Amino acid sequence: MIDPLAGDLTDEIQAAVTRSSRSLLRRLLKKPIAVASLSFLLFIVLIAVFGPYLAPHDPNAASAADVLGPLSATHPLGTDSAGRDVLSRLLFATRFSIAGAALALIVAALIGVTGGLIAGYYGRWFEGLSSWVVGILQALPGIVVLLAARAVLGPSLWTSMAIFGVLLSPAFYRLVYSTVTAVRDELYVDAARVSGLTDGRIISRHILTVVRGPALVQASFVAGVAISIQAGLDFLGLGDLSIPTWGSMLNEGFSNIYTDPVLMLWPSLAIGLTCVSLVLLANALRDTLEQSGRKRRRTRRDKPASIPPIEREPIVSHGGDHRFDGAEVLLAVDRLAVGYGQDDGSITTVVEDVSLTVRRGEVHGLIGESGSGKTQTAWSVLRLLPDGGRIVGGSITFEGQDLAGKTEAQMRALRGLKIAYIPQEPMSNLDASFTVGSQLVEPMRVKLKLSKSAAKARALELLRRVGIPNPERTFNAYPHEISGGMAQRVLIAGAVSCDPDLLIADEPTTALDVTVQADVLDLLRSLQSELNMGMILVTHNFGVVADLCDTVSVMRSGRIVETGPVLELFARPQHPYTQSLFDAVLDESEGAGSVAADIETADTNGALR
Amino acid sequence: MLSFIARRIVSGVILVVAISVIAFLLLYAGGGNIARRLLGEDASAQTVAQKSHELGLDQPLISQFGSWVSGVFHGDFGASWFTSQPVSDAIVSRLAVTLSLVLGATILIAIVSVVLGVLAATRGGWVDTVVQVVSLVGTAIPGFLIALGLVVVFAIDLGWVAPTGYVQFTTSPQGWVGSIILPVIALSLGGIAGVTQQIRGSMLDSLRQDYVRTLKSRGLSSRSVVLKHVLRNAAGPGLAVLGVHFVGLLGGVVIIEQIFAIPGIGQVAVTATSQGDIPLVMGLVVATAILVVLLNLVVDLAQGWLNPKVRLS
Amino acid sequence: MAPEETKMFNFRKRLIAAAAASAVAAIALSGCTPAASRAGSPSAAADGTLTIGTIVASTTFAVNNSAWANESPYLQAVYDTLLHADPDGTVKPWLATKWSYNADNTVLTMKLRSDVTFTDGTKFDASAAAKNLLRFRDGTSPQKAYLATLADATAVDPTTLRLTLSAPNPSLLSFLTQNPGLEESPAAFGTPGEKTTPVGSGPYVLDKKATVVGSTYVFTKNPKYWAPQQQHYAKLVMNVYSTPTAILNAVKGHQINGAPLTDNSTIPQIKGAGFTANGQQLNFFGLLLFDRSGAIAPALGNVKVRQAINYAFDRKAMLKAVGQGYGAVTSSIFSPDSSGYDKAMDSYYPYDPKKAKALLKEAGYSGGQITLTMPTSSGFTPATYALTKQYLGDIGIQVNEVNVAPTSFLGDLLAAKYGSTVMQLKAAPTTWETLTLDVLPTAGWNPFHTKDATVSALAKTIQSGTKAEAADAAKKLNTYIVQQAWFAPWYRPQQTYATDPTTSVQTQTGNAYPYLWNFVPKK
Repeated sequence: MIDPLAGDLTDEIQAAVTRSSRSLLRRLLKKPIAVASLSFLLFIVLIAVFGPYLAPHDPNAASAADVLGPLSATHPLGTDSAGRDVLSRLLFATRFSIAGAALALIVAALIGVTGGLIAGYYGRWFEGLSSWVVGILQALPGIVVLLAARAVLGPSLWTSMAIFGVLLSPAFYRLVYSTVTAVRDELYVDAARVSGLTDGRIISRHILTVVRGPALVQASFVAGVAISIQAGLDFLGLGDLSIPTWGSMLNEGFSNIYTDPVLMLWPSLAIGLTCVSLVLLANALRDTLEQSGRKRRRTRRDKPASIPPIEREPIVSHGGDHRFDGAEVLLAVDRLAVGYGQDDGSITTVVEDVSLTVRRGEVHGLIGESGSGKTQTAWSVLRLLPDGGRIVGGSITFEGQDLAGKTEAQMRALRGLKIAYIPQEPMSNLDASFTVGSQLVEPMRVKLKLSKSAAKARALELLRRVGIPNPERTFNAYPHEISGGMAQRVLIAGAVSCDPDLLIADEPTTALDVTVQADVLDLLRSLQSELNMGMILVTHNFGVVADLCDTVSVMRSGRIVETGPVLELFARPQHPYTQSLFDAVLDESEGAGSVAADIETADTNGALR
Repeated sequence: MLSFIARRIVSGVILVVAISVIAFLLLYAGGGNIARRLLGEDASAQTVAQKSHELGLDQPLISQFGSWVSGVFHGDFGASWFTSQPVSDAIVSRLAVTLSLVLGATILIAIVSVVLGVLAATRGGWVDTVVQVVSLVGTAIPGFLIALGLVVVFAIDLGWVAPTGYVQFTTSPQGWVGSIILPVIALSLGGIAGVTQQIRGSMLDSLRQDYVRTLKSRGLSSRSVVLKHVLRNAAGPGLAVLGVHFVGLLGGVVIIEQIFAIPGIGQVAVTATSQGDIPLVMGLVVATAILVVLLNLVVDLAQGWLNPKVRLS
Repeated sequence: MAPEETKMFNFRKRLIAAAAASAVAAIALSGCTPAASRAGSPSAAADGTLTIGTIVASTTFAVNNSAWANESPYLQAVYDTLLHADPDGTVKPWLATKWSYNADNTVLTMKLRSDVTFTDGTKFDASAAAKNLLRFRDGTSPQKAYLATLADATAVDPTTLRLTLSAPNPSLLSFLTQNPGLEESPAAFGTPGEKTTPVGSGPYVLDKKATVVGSTYVFTKNPKYWAPQQQHYAKLVMNVYSTPTAILNAVKGHQINGAPLTDNSTIPQIKGAGFTANGQQLNFFGLLLFDRSGAIAPALGNVKVRQAINYAFDRKAMLKAVGQGYGAVTSSIFSPDSSGYDKAMDSYYPYDPKKAKALLKEAGYSGGQITLTMPTSSGFTPATYALTKQYLGDIGIQVNEVNVAPTSFLGDLLAAKYGSTVMQLKAAPTTWETLTLDVLPTAGWNPFHTKDATVSALAKTIQSGTKAEAADAAKKLNTYIVQQAWFAPWYRPQQTYATDPTTSVQTQTGNAYPYLWNFVPKK
């Protein structure tokens, strides 16, 4: 099948590839360390290529009269124990050492990359055989193999570096194989296949581009190792004695260490600096690749984009709610501002002028679109903002004390015991390495000073309370062995385990299946009334607000635009933004009546309270 | 669990066999005139021929390998051609010495890497920079250059320890420590650098995980969350890297023992391979392969214990 | 970050890191010059322990396969020999008290001691001695050829031993002071532990518990030894040091009382540490020009070419550059202790590249047409080969160096694969040994089996003539070999044995290691 589009597609891709490799280099060159190491390596390569032509003497020209001579005009770096010029030997040695390392690298890359590509793409028996061979290669200590090979094949530099390349190939093989298998089933490869690209083209266009970056990083490390090992073998006098290499010069210097220790300096510098440059370059490459990865995959939740400044406008506040007048004020947030420090020292504000109150028994909903700052507000109360975030204005008063000014130790005393938290995504909020039970028990033992058995009993009781059918089994299970709904129940159990006064729930049902959401909301409602907790409920769903909340604040771009009792706000939204949100809900929902029905139910429930 | 171990042992045995065959072929193929090498320059050609016959070197390759294998099944690995000592004695007696070096280095690597990696990841700032620089130095600069400096400072200038020789633990625990401390440090440096980097990286990753915030929200201290939970999760990759380094240690110990005059497996390996002492080299190859297989098994089991997701039951 | 991406990304990062680690893993190479240590210095006199260094491990304790030279201390610790040799080579009685040859030197009758017992209780007698001799002759010792002419050994009576030879052997008595003369208990013959657990009658016994095979050998005094005046110590410790650096470190660290120095450049160091450098001349070092018939290197077939090679080298400079000046220049392979030694032969070939070029021209080679192929060995410094190439290159001879695996080096040389080589060989203490090792057509180091009428005639006299006749013939032979330029020796390097201030020693002519009973604590 010939698809006329196929050609365009691959050209597009080709263009993208070129663009991305150019931008990779550009990004790399922005780092001073990368520039420095690349320059040094370039310098070394230049010496390797041109140095021998610049050498003042024949590196093997021995002279009995000049043994261990001092620095002079004819011998700028002196002479060694056979009277040979050190500078000339150093120049030639650079060529041989670099060439040897390059040989090992090329052999390793050729074998490893090709093997990995074939094994990953075509799999089956080839993969089985390859991984077996790789296992053997990795089981052999390199030095022993090289020693044995030398005994058999002689001390030639090229033979031993070629063999070493074979020993190093697993490094490339594993990398390429895992990348290929991960990418092989990606959708875009399927698309390429469907549009008629041959396997060869798929491999070269798509897969190689993915492998390229990590393979470069690998190559840098491998080159460094090859140089070190070669130097080591030569240093022990087990290398090729007929040609100068850095290692053999080091060996020379070492044998004369008491008579002429400076001989060791030059090869040491050469080896050390080259290895350091290779490692630095590899690190820089890796960081650059990760940055590009991170940029594309950055989550919005942790570090929000900066918010365009909005004119300060008065907050629309619906008064007239006296249901909780008698209850104590648990939380009073007053003109809270939260910001993140930037690399250039400035602060980007993500939450501004936020004020709200939560009394005991009151459920206060924070509603808004993604990026409105509602989660940031919630985290601020807990003082658990991500790296770089901090409260830059206003106050948070909890049971009469300002949380913004408390020390970490003081906050720790409150968390779990007085203020609790239910996160959004259940699976990533449980530590996969520990059983569910242990994660319930551990904080209880710390906060409530319970014994192990008492804590376990309480944990089982909590699990039962949150509606888990087989508490014992769940207690002993690991997070990956339970469903998302059950995990969220566990997290809820954990949150209420120490009878907190204030509960902060961050979109507790968003990540759950629709079928489970209602149950979890029921659970939250019953727990909240049973323990008479004050609650901040962050959500983007008006249905949830209608279901659970007594008060609601609407947030946009880090500010509260409208606040008030739920019934009042739902019935008469006044701010244009709030109205547009309601309009959107009404447009999207199956039946316009559902929201109204929710309001009815909420009203009834509220009346029952 | 048992079937997992059994499967690994079987594949390990196959690995050992494969390595033995390859090693045997390599050694015999290029062995040169072993008998001549054994007897030296003054022996007559007739003596050399007689010695060749005595060692079975005039047999075809297959039958030589066959007799080695049948010997192995009887637990007889032959005797060194250059010291007449039974190979199994030679290896076992020196294994304890080498293991004390290698295990000592592994433990040192593990402890120091965890400490440095955690510090670098949690403290950040100048601590992180210092740790990165130290890692770089350990990674990039060949160990023998650093070891040279260590010896000059600690053994010569300060005289705290003896520079060469090995004191058995049973003779004097203090002397034993003194004799292995410099070799162990020299051996560990590369590993510390690599594992620290890995742990630092994994720690940084893990610290960004959601469950860290949730656990803190339950009122647990930062320290206990980091040390109990985050480290546990970061340890897995660190352990994998440590396992890789162990194989490297087996290679590195070869040079270290040669220089520090420590009578371990490494010293024997260099002498045996350079002399072409085939029975001894074969024994060493088998012993090393077994060690590596066992190590990989231990690492995998430890990974399973650390990370429940990879457990096979 | 989508879970899939996270997994792959993290996996990839882990791979990179793991690969980086594996890349780094193989390094940990270390070299060091551990120098002086304040840790325990064994003082020879104080606690009666002699700690000496050796450069090879003991290959076997079974006498019939035993090696000598650097392994002699191991064997001398646990075994007696039939005869003893003084440091200057004079043969003295030991287990054999009297001996005499018959008229044509083909039957040697020896009288043996009757008061010697092996450590396993077996009595030493002529029958045991005879068995040991025959076993050695039929064994695989490197020195097996020493007893090649032993037709038979019999015990006439418990204290009388008779050796019957197929041809006279002027060095036989000397040989009986070495490993052919070692006496092992016949009860130990062929036992499984024979190679590692010696049973002898010697001054010390191997302490297997304290011994680490290949690294440290420990011996304790034999309480029942029949010659207690020869036991100067209560304990012997022999440590194997494989590199010159290791020996130097042990010396500087005061960890040994004595050791051979394999690198003379360390002499100033050991002297600085208070040790004495006991020197002797044991070997000769230079070029061996095997292919005197021009079989594979036609140029070497011409004596003028070989002589030119001899004139090409500045021996004094070679001694200084390669031997650090320790030794004596020479153009001859004969040891000063041998009857064939002639001082004139030490300076026969001066450094004269002009003359060398002229000789080459006379021989028909006017520069650049001769190429010599030589194997290289890691046993000689790169400087040696570099200088060889240099000097020969100066007179127009190219040297083609071939990298040979160490295990094949000796074998290839002795199989006549190369026409010439750099080599260090023993300068034997007796002329006959020199002939059997290097000169005779059957000599190992005459791989092309060069036959020469003059040499054969002189060799006959040396073998069968009177002492005076043999000495005269030996000198004549020396001169002939030098003039015929069979070799191009540069110098006799100094063989150095270092001893600490508490130990005195006398070097043994013709042996790399002093004999054990000559180690004496200094008063």
